[in-house]
Amino acid sequence: MSKIVSIHSFRGGTGKSNVTANLGVTIARAGYRVGIVDTDIQSPGIHVVFHLNEDRVTRCLNDFLWGDCAIEEAAYDVTDAAIGNVADGDDRPRVFLVPASIKTNEIGRVLKEGYDVGLLNDGFKRLIQKLDLDFLLIDTHPGVNEETLLSIVISDHLLLVLRPDQQDFQGSLVTLELARRLDVNAVSLIVNKIPPGMDRAQLKTKVESIYSTDVLALLPLNFELVRMASNGLFVNRYPEHPFTRELRLVANSLTK
Amino acid sequence: MSSSPNGTGDSPSHLDALLTRMKSAASPLREVLREIHAKYASLDDGVVASYIPELAKANPAWFGISAVSVQGQSIDVGDSDQQFTIQSASKPFTFGLALEDHGREHVLSKIGVQPIGEAFNSITLDQVANRPFNPMINAGAIAAADLVHGKDYPERVTRMIEMFGRYCGRTVYVDNSVFTSERMTGHRNRAIGHLMLNFDMVSDQLDETLELYFKQCSLLVTCHDLAVMGATLANGGVNPVTGVRAIDAEYVKDLLSVMHTCGMYDYAGEWAYRIGIPAKSGVGGGIVAVIPGQGGIGTFSPKLDVKGNSVRGIKVFEELAQRFGLHVFEADDKKQSLVSQFSPPK
Repeated sequence: MSKIVSIHSFRGGTGKSNVTANLGVTIARAGYRVGIVDTDIQSPGIHVVFHLNEDRVTRCLNDFLWGDCAIEEAAYDVTDAAIGNVADGDDRPRVFLVPASIKTNEIGRVLKEGYDVGLLNDGFKRLIQKLDLDFLLIDTHPGVNEETLLSIVISDHLLLVLRPDQQDFQGSLVTLELARRLDVNAVSLIVNKIPPGMDRAQLKTKVESIYSTDVLALLPLNFELVRMASNGLFVNRYPEHPFTRELRLVANSLTK
Repeated sequence: MSSSPNGTGDSPSHLDALLTRMKSAASPLREVLREIHAKYASLDDGVVASYIPELAKANPAWFGISAVSVQGQSIDVGDSDQQFTIQSASKPFTFGLALEDHGREHVLSKIGVQPIGEAFNSITLDQVANRPFNPMINAGAIAAADLVHGKDYPERVTRMIEMFGRYCGRTVYVDNSVFTSERMTGHRNRAIGHLMLNFDMVSDQLDETLELYFKQCSLLVTCHDLAVMGATLANGGVNPVTGVRAIDAEYVKDLLSVMHTCGMYDYAGEWAYRIGIPAKSGVGGGIVAVIPGQGGIGTFSPKLDVKGNSVRGIKVFEELAQRFGLHVFEADDKKQSLVSQFSPPK
């Protein structure tokens, strides 16, 4: 039974895409087939982490939404970049990425014309079926828009990424209220970019009481991640870093 | 007068509407409708209506399916936003307006509720009372149009169009090309009108009534609109999308009864047997159907069978009735809640 996980944040800059990419790899390393879809159509970027360059990308999510290709044609096997060599014939682990277009015209077209969000749902389901996915991770656009709401509706699990910041705290309440009104199955929080010296236990208690929701991970403000500048996957380069260990907790919780 | 489907007296908020749309986008019914649409899109039987030149211009490939629940959730597949003229699918709704304007007894003195198994445009009246047999054939529909109140013709037209607007949840417009075409070629309807005038079944404002009837048939709708209209009847007369009451609850069963027994031209009996839900078709290619307490379904495909019903539309309803046990007499253990299919599984 495959599981759909949406990763969302109310505001930009929370590190959501990095969390999504590294969490996807962490889950895959546990022996799963993982698909990642970049539905942040207005400001795509997760493909960079997987070294998926423009010259390799012939189709993307936008093409599917315009009816120009099947969604699986826009999915790229990025297992090499994500995990490294997998023995021939082994169908697990695998990581697939469906990028959104980085072309200005394509982004403009989405903003101008919009698209049928129902198609996204069809695409997600088809992708799970065609690629035999165990997990589908949906990287969403920050804030509230139609594709975000749709991804929340269809999710088995919503992961809400926020920083220890009053604006994030307030905005995340909006997302949580919407998630509840959409009858989402499960919601968890990931607190990211926790500055050094902050009392983690106290923060966890505070956040859980504000939202009446479990905090799955407390991720430190990560200078190594900043220095990597999206050039590759953090969990591969720093397998024993606290950030990586915390993401493993999230992966364990999702794969239980 | 307005009220909400949930009895709160408030129209659904923009946010509610958005959340509802998102749930619909992820609903299992959407997948079913897409599958059925794909299955019958290649069905090429039937011919596009050509009895008036404007209708013949329809693209035979157009095909849309829409479903709207009594909670206001909607699912649209295919050419669901393609406009076409409502034609005879308008008849139950004008009958409803006549009932509201005059009450059941008076309307029944002018229009019967008896299926006849003859063509929709037959020039025939009940030989005992000289009434049209039912409001779903042209004679009965013209008699119903005659009963629409108004101090003058413009007010009658306005009331009629506003009534359709309440059902659709938006302002509807007349396709003037089709209206002109209807008016120029409507000699048979004039003959029916004059026959009824001869028996005092319609008033002496016949010319205006015929104009009103031609306009009624020429209203532009989509199959999404038809589904909302059906859902309004399924919801006791309250439009579940806008929360606005379109018809007194008292008369909803009158409309559903005649739709059930007479709604599908001379295929009505077989429809009731095979599909078994109240419905009305139009030669524009639309079918509006009602699943009481659950929702409305609208289909649009212009190619018609010999009886004037959309070929693909009938196939869609046959399939839906079978899959979900929609038939009114279906055994309880085979009936499924269509409403539950509108929301993503949890």
